[in-house]
Amino acid sequence: MKVLFFKKQHQVESLIYDYLENLKMSKEHFYKALNVCFEQGICGEFDFQIDRTHKFESKADDVREDIKTLMYEKALLPESRGDIMGLLEAMDQVPRLFELVLFMIKTQKLMVPEFLILDLKELLDVTMESCALMVKQVETLFQRREGIRALVSTIDLNESHADHIERRIITKIFDSDIDPFQKLQLKEMIVNVGDISDQVDRISKRVNIISMKRRV
Amino acid sequence: MVSLLSGVFLGWSLGANDASNVFGSAVSARMLRFWTAALLASGFVILGSLLEGQAGIETLQNITPMGLKEAAVSSLAAAATVTLMTFARLPVSTSQAVVGAILGIAVLNRELNTPNLSKIVACWIGTPIGGLLIAVILYRLSALVYNDLSMNLFQSDSLLRLSLIAAGSYGAYALGANNVANVTAVFVAADKLTVFAAVLVGGLSIALGIMTFSRRVMETVGRRLVRLDPFSALVVVMAEAITVHIYTFVGVPVSTSQAVVGAVVGIGIIKGIKTVAPRTLVNILLGWFLTPVVAMVMAVGIYFAIHLQYIRPVP
Repeated sequence: MKVLFFKKQHQVESLIYDYLENLKMSKEHFYKALNVCFEQGICGEFDFQIDRTHKFESKADDVREDIKTLMYEKALLPESRGDIMGLLEAMDQVPRLFELVLFMIKTQKLMVPEFLILDLKELLDVTMESCALMVKQVETLFQRREGIRALVSTIDLNESHADHIERRIITKIFDSDIDPFQKLQLKEMIVNVGDISDQVDRISKRVNIISMKRRV
Repeated sequence: MVSLLSGVFLGWSLGANDASNVFGSAVSARMLRFWTAALLASGFVILGSLLEGQAGIETLQNITPMGLKEAAVSSLAAAATVTLMTFARLPVSTSQAVVGAILGIAVLNRELNTPNLSKIVACWIGTPIGGLLIAVILYRLSALVYNDLSMNLFQSDSLLRLSLIAAGSYGAYALGANNVANVTAVFVAADKLTVFAAVLVGGLSIALGIMTFSRRVMETVGRRLVRLDPFSALVVVMAEAITVHIYTFVGVPVSTSQAVVGAVVGIGIIKGIKTVAPRTLVNILLGWFLTPVVAMVMAVGIYFAIHLQYIRPVP
């Protein structure tokens, strides 16, 4: 019945889940790539994980374009179209930041000093947790409505925690006696990783607004 | 048959303009194709005309007695008033134009059913007020149910889209039931048509207007409602349909546009925002006075014009 009357809407729905799957895969490979980089430095496995991250980012991009096309073909109410497109545009920044961090390490041949690895892993874990919660929150928006606000709070806490770790790492970098150029490189990378949490926090708040708008 | 043409023209313009009040939001938001909306609207207008159009006809045919010539004059005067005021970008209600034109004939007849006229005028004033009150009550009640359903984005979207189509269809039914009297009541008064033929011809001519000329109006005028959120737009369409349907039971043709404005004001009161510009409200008040007066003057003018005779000068 649903498929018969709302065929395009049903297509949009399954494409959104498809998009989220690709985002999850991109996140997993980003996580693996950074861990490989921390443990083994730039190596074949790191390159492979970059390729996988890029592949899923690119697939997510294609799915987003398909959703956009379907939206223009009059699927959903105009307000929902705008909300979904805005949400997808915002979510698309996350895999873009994954790639930015990884390509920065690769192209600038960035070496992560030993004394930063534990802190960086902590920052990465908090960031990945936020990303996972964001995906869960978006799925909640499209499956049921309860629980969105609780996720906003958790993501917000994670973002503050990530900011705190970010500042701690940057302080450590500039307290150390490594090459000043490397300091700047590392700082830029840390800021970019921190941006992921900030972006996830923005998305989470957007999801909350989309959900609240649907209460009358 | 030729005398009926002015009535058909009036029905056509009514269909072309008023269909936007019921399906404008769905079409301009592209949640419904124009042709689907036009077919639904036409079908339900004809159904409404046939099933419930008689009451309004009985009210209008009893304002003043008239022959075929007077019926054609009043119908032509109403059509000319609607056209003239639309071109002048002044607010116009077909119902008020028709009653104004019949009043013009009544002036010439020197015979007027005052209680009937009072009932009609009271209903004109009651239309936006009714739209407002029904919108407020409907919004409050349906919001309780809607929030309690706790739907996800897709479910609420589907529900709103289906409801807008259902409300639009009901609105078209109410439009046909209420406004068909404007189109052909005068011909029933003139004994030119039976009540059944009147509702059939009236319903068909409104449907013709919807099918042939409502697209542009639906796509542009409808956007005014889409600026509201979808739930409020649904309440507005539903409140307008219920208001117009209530006046169908009373037997008085009223303006769907004025019911819509009332409902939009109601939404504004609930949300604490200004949804209608004060100018629009002033325009409605202006329309209440101007439309019947212009139609009355037009009817008297046309009547005198067709009775002008050339008098040969005495040598």
